[in-house]
Amino acid sequence: MQTAILAQGIVKSFRERLWGPLKPVLREVDLEVGAGAIFGILGPNGAGKTTFISILAGLLLPDAGQAQVLGLDVVRQATLLRERINLAASGAHFLWCLTAEENLRFYGRLYGLGGRTLAARIEELLELFDLTSHRRVTFERLSTGLKQRLGLAKALINTPELLFLDEPTTGLDPEMAQHLREEILRLNRQTGLTILLTTHNLREAEMLCGEVAFLKEGRLLARGGLAELQQRLRLGDRISLIFPDSPAPLDYGRLPGVLSFKVQPGRVDLRVDRAEVRLAPILEAIAQTQKPVAEVHLQEVDLEEIYREITH
Amino acid sequence: MKLPTDLNKIWGFAVRSALVNRRNVFAVFEMFFWPGVAIFSVGLLTRFLQLDVATVTFILIGAVSMNTIQIAQLDLSYALLYSVWAKSLKHEFMAPIRLSHILLGSGLVGLVRGLLVFVLMGFLSTWLFDMELGRPGVAGLILFLLGIFLNAFIIGALVLALVLRFGQRAEVAAWAFSYLILLLCGLYYPVSVLPPGARQLAQLIPLTYFLDYFRHFYGFPLASAHPLLYGFLQSVIYIFISYALLYQTLKNALKRGTLLRLSE
Repeated sequence: MQTAILAQGIVKSFRERLWGPLKPVLREVDLEVGAGAIFGILGPNGAGKTTFISILAGLLLPDAGQAQVLGLDVVRQATLLRERINLAASGAHFLWCLTAEENLRFYGRLYGLGGRTLAARIEELLELFDLTSHRRVTFERLSTGLKQRLGLAKALINTPELLFLDEPTTGLDPEMAQHLREEILRLNRQTGLTILLTTHNLREAEMLCGEVAFLKEGRLLARGGLAELQQRLRLGDRISLIFPDSPAPLDYGRLPGVLSFKVQPGRVDLRVDRAEVRLAPILEAIAQTQKPVAEVHLQEVDLEEIYREITH
Repeated sequence: MKLPTDLNKIWGFAVRSALVNRRNVFAVFEMFFWPGVAIFSVGLLTRFLQLDVATVTFILIGAVSMNTIQIAQLDLSYALLYSVWAKSLKHEFMAPIRLSHILLGSGLVGLVRGLLVFVLMGFLSTWLFDMELGRPGVAGLILFLLGIFLNAFIIGALVLALVLRFGQRAEVAAWAFSYLILLLCGLYYPVSVLPPGARQLAQLIPLTYFLDYFRHFYGFPLASAHPLLYGFLQSVIYIFISYALLYQTLKNALKRGTLLRLSE
């Protein structure tokens, strides 16, 4: 597989005040992403995700280290690179008084497109993101969901080979977020578009990304397939089963999807890879033992838990 | 560099600037209201002071020049301020554009708007206060306008650098900067009345020479032997300096993360 992104030893620091001390944001970050992949960078707010993606997109110069995107140096060949990449970020912001169509036309022209080529591309994108009926609505009058869709449409205006998505579903309602995720997947599968995505939503990463890396306090902590990482760290969703008397006599470790378990008087705590898939068969297995379950509590695995596990 | 591609990029900024102006009632207002007020207030003042036609013309040339420059440089100055206000700066610089695309595209709209202001004010001055706008002839008018627009371009580029460095706070500079230059270049008075230090500073402003050149058609003696030569030479030098400054400011913005901060 060809390499789409190759970053080595990326370092970046910022001053919070003009004469203040330098605060490190990225500390020697290395990353390699194959062409055609959807790669996720996960991390809490302030982890350095946006800074990293901005360096790769040529919007920020690194203090040290080197990065190549699509075989081009992000510092020395930035202009050439920008023709082949694009970016969509959470909370899309465009000129308030231009319509959806005019905004797309403006950005299309900035990529050197014009005439029939641009007109056809705009039509295609308006249709793709269901914006045709809103084409003459000014940006300030669009709903949050429509703005986000326009943001994605803009990011595809130059038919990029690589797309940076910086928390693309933040602020969207669940239905719209799901719709966008499906759209991202479809684009990747149909066009082979490489996507580097930042998110702090594990479920989103799980649905979209073949591989993820965890970034915390400017350091890349671990990388791999999400399921593989969960398996390796024995971390997953938590299912707590409360029994009115003693717990059902089962070998919980042999139930499908169970990563770890703990049996206590009147209670069993299970770690499973995906609670929504595993709960029904687990309850079924318990039902066969004739032991009633009084309460079931579900808790999704959260990023902090994974970070704690990785850092220790 | 591919010409059609570059022209599309320049045209993109020009169309955006034109659309914002068209949809912003205040942009139309500042184009017609303030120049109108300037001509009436200055013209009526000269009438009250019972000045002769030559002196009235001297002052009106200043009023017309000032407003033309102000309007022409605004489109350039606002080119990035629009993006800062819209928080879309990173999307513009994400595209494969160069500073020259922004400057030429937005400058083109500034030129058209400035030209409209010049024609409007020239017409009002001729109609109401007996100024002969056409006396310098076509060549004289074109050279003077060229000088005025070069000055507007320099001011606009410098304000753009300030916007890239300081963001919205630089908005005030868009106005203040041009007023400072206009104060020194002998807009309503000959440069000779300025105090000694300021007089030397005036010699460093190209507009001083273009005003000198234009006014000599109305019978005022030339203060400089070669006003056009000095005016255009200085303009070219300042254009290079302001472009270099703007380029360096963009590089610093890429280092400091200013583009990202201004997009939040």
